[in-house]
Amino acid sequence: MTDDQIRIGVYVCECGINIGAVIDVPEVVRFASVLPNVTVARQFKYMCSESGQKMIQDDIKHLGINRVVVASCTPRMHEPTFQNAIAAAGLNPYYFQMTNIREQVSWVVEDPAQATAKAKRLVSAAVARVAWHAPLQARKEKVTPAALVVGGGIAGIQAALTIAEGGYQVYLVEREPSIGGHMAQLDKTFPTLDCST
Amino acid sequence: MMDAGRHPNIRLLTYSDVIDVSGYIGQFKVKVRQRPRYVDTTLCTGCGACVEACVYRKGVPNEFDAGLSKRRAAYIPLNGQGVPMKTVIDKDTCVWLSRGKCLKDCIKACPANAIDFDQKEEIVELNVGSIVVATGFDMFNPKRLSAYAYGKSPNILDGLQFERMSSATGPTKGLILTAEGKKPERVAIIHCVGSRDEHANRYCSRVCCMYALKHAHLVRDKTGAEVFEFYMDIRAFGKDDEEFYQRVQEEGVYFVRGRGAEVVVLNDGKLQVKAEDTTLGIPVQIGVDMVVLETAMEPQRDSDKVASLFGISRSASGFFQEAHPKLRPFHTNTEGVFLAGTCQAPKDVPDTVAHAGAAAGEVLSLLGRGTVVISPTTALVDEALCSGCKTCLALCPYAAISFIAQNGTGVVRINEALCKGCGTCTAACPAGAITARHFTDQQIVAELEGLFAIA
Ligand SMILES: Cc1cc2nc3c(=O)[nH]c(=O)nc-3n(C[C@H](O)[C@H](O)[C@H](O)COP(=O)(O)OP(=O)(O)OC[C@H]3O[C@@H](n4cnc5c(N)ncnc54)[C@H](O)[C@@H]3O)c2cc1C
Ligand code: SF4
Ligand code: SF4
Ligand code: SF4
Repeated sequence: MTDDQIRIGVYVCECGINIGAVIDVPEVVRFASVLPNVTVARQFKYMCSESGQKMIQDDIKHLGINRVVVASCTPRMHEPTFQNAIAAAGLNPYYFQMTNIREQVSWVVEDPAQATAKAKRLVSAAVARVAWHAPLQARKEKVTPAALVVGGGIAGIQAALTIAEGGYQVYLVEREPSIGGHMAQLDKTFPTLDCST
Repeated sequence: MMDAGRHPNIRLLTYSDVIDVSGYIGQFKVKVRQRPRYVDTTLCTGCGACVEACVYRKGVPNEFDAGLSKRRAAYIPLNGQGVPMKTVIDKDTCVWLSRGKCLKDCIKACPANAIDFDQKEEIVELNVGSIVVATGFDMFNPKRLSAYAYGKSPNILDGLQFERMSSATGPTKGLILTAEGKKPERVAIIHCVGSRDEHANRYCSRVCCMYALKHAHLVRDKTGAEVFEFYMDIRAFGKDDEEFYQRVQEEGVYFVRGRGAEVVVLNDGKLQVKAEDTTLGIPVQIGVDMVVLETAMEPQRDSDKVASLFGISRSASGFFQEAHPKLRPFHTNTEGVFLAGTCQAPKDVPDTVAHAGAAAGEVLSLLGRGTVVISPTTALVDEALCSGCKTCLALCPYAAISFIAQNGTGVVRINEALCKGCGTCTAACPAGAITARHFTDQQIVAELEGLFAIA
């Protein structure tokens, strides 16, 4: 095994019964295990759980997995979960591809045979893609320790005071010659009838 | 209000507009235009001598009193209680500034020598890490619904005018009086003016039911007049609001269930309100000597401009759009820009304060972190291939591309902190000079091949 050899791990999630009750998960795993560059393919009830993440991390450590494919739900929720998990195991988080076999397959395709066939295609695509992934580094940028608040009504005043009390510089921009907004115009305020200014 | 005026960490820029915003989360650059007040605020003590002396005695409608009183060209905002408590000279009203002719008695009167007609607008540049938009709401103008006869009688008021009349700092020093200077005997209060109405705004303004009940209480308390309240439903859902509603019922207010349909000004100046009482199923007509129109809260009139300045979108109602209706109610889709208060939707004061506090918490968390992580999935220009055709320049929705001129032609460069990796430029470049990191041609082609590899 050389360092630049691509070793892909494929992890198919059952998502309880969300995926497992429609898609033939063992069949997808069997299919994935013989795809080019795939070293290991596994299934698990909840890939996003602690033990699911640990399964991936262990394979990175013990089997030398250097590319990861997770077939599960929408990446909106858990892409960062898996990226963080593989980064914690020492792999670049962009050596990762997620494919959505829940929202885009098991929740919308009724026929199990068709659903399984579509899941296979998606896994095949993800495996082919991840082989071309490059390591990328997220950059960190400094934050200027000051805030702008636009509008000096009660909302802007409240926000400005809270931020200023935290020790930061605040610029409060108001288009009228005085701050105060509508609340300064009110007499007493409901429901307590206390004065507003 | 005063606390914000004197907090050492807050710099107030009043009479000012944000005119340009560039940069990104953590590093925004903001340009603010400060309009001239024609008064040197470092000298003005707020004594009001110039206001007293201003020759423009005729006056113009005083915004603070919602037009119920007049002010001169020189005035101290908020009827003398402004923060900052400094005079401003309104250039459109001032005889000298608008017509070039005036005795300028204000200058003679000012003991601090603070009046300065040579003041020019100033541009202030600010660097900030985060932005809170708290531009509030506008009042619905009831003239838009002619059936309410607003403007046809001085005894037809909108909600804000009633507040000013009832306020101790207002034109009647808190007395509720008809234009004839008498205590009213019968007052009609009409809910949902400009709200829940196909001809105006479809949304419920949420606050007017409660301030209408407050107005009913104030009328009963201050004048003893009979109060007729025209409503469709009472929305008293905030903390202690239902109890307040019951209290107002016990104070002897007549509740008429049905939208106030029409206000008629009779020949003798008296007013008549027509409605259908939907509980009794009959049309009703009630003669009164004062009508209060409980007007809707609307988006600020310039909210389209403000939205594009800060890169935020607007809801169907016109208020600013939060990033998620439940989970991100004070975030926008521009990272580092947050919403506070009624610019997002109508709210009462407690909800406004809670919303603003939450937005401030988000800002504090960002400033406290000190750094932001910028995603590396951005576009990259191969300068050897770029022909300098500038096709991509205008297409980038985030203005991340700039042109660098080089002996006759030039190349483009992408600011990685601004680029969101949307791929627009990548697809548009005729020379194929732009690569989208993590979405390279090889990656996408491989993905497609993988998709079709099986029969
Ligand atoms: C008649 C009436 C009675 C009410 N009574 C009650 C009550 O009894 N109890 C209660 O809880 N609530 C009451 N409310 C609601 C209360 O007024 C609002 O909840 C509160 O004022 C909202 O504050 P805000 O800061 O969001 O907006 P605003 O008060 O509108 O403040 C916005 C500020 O931003 C400034 N601004 C706007 N655009 C820009 C810009 N582009 N650049 C710079 N500055 C800008 C404005 O000049 C203003 O100073 C009442 C409302 C009305 C209309
Ligand atoms: S110049 Fe004349 S009109 Fe203008 S503020 Fe002074 S006195 Fe008033
Ligand atoms: S809060 Fe009451 S008065 Fe205001 S729009 Fe809603 S229902 Fe109408
Ligand atoms: S990828 Fe999108 S955001 Fe980035 S430079 Fe190109 S057009 Fe602009």
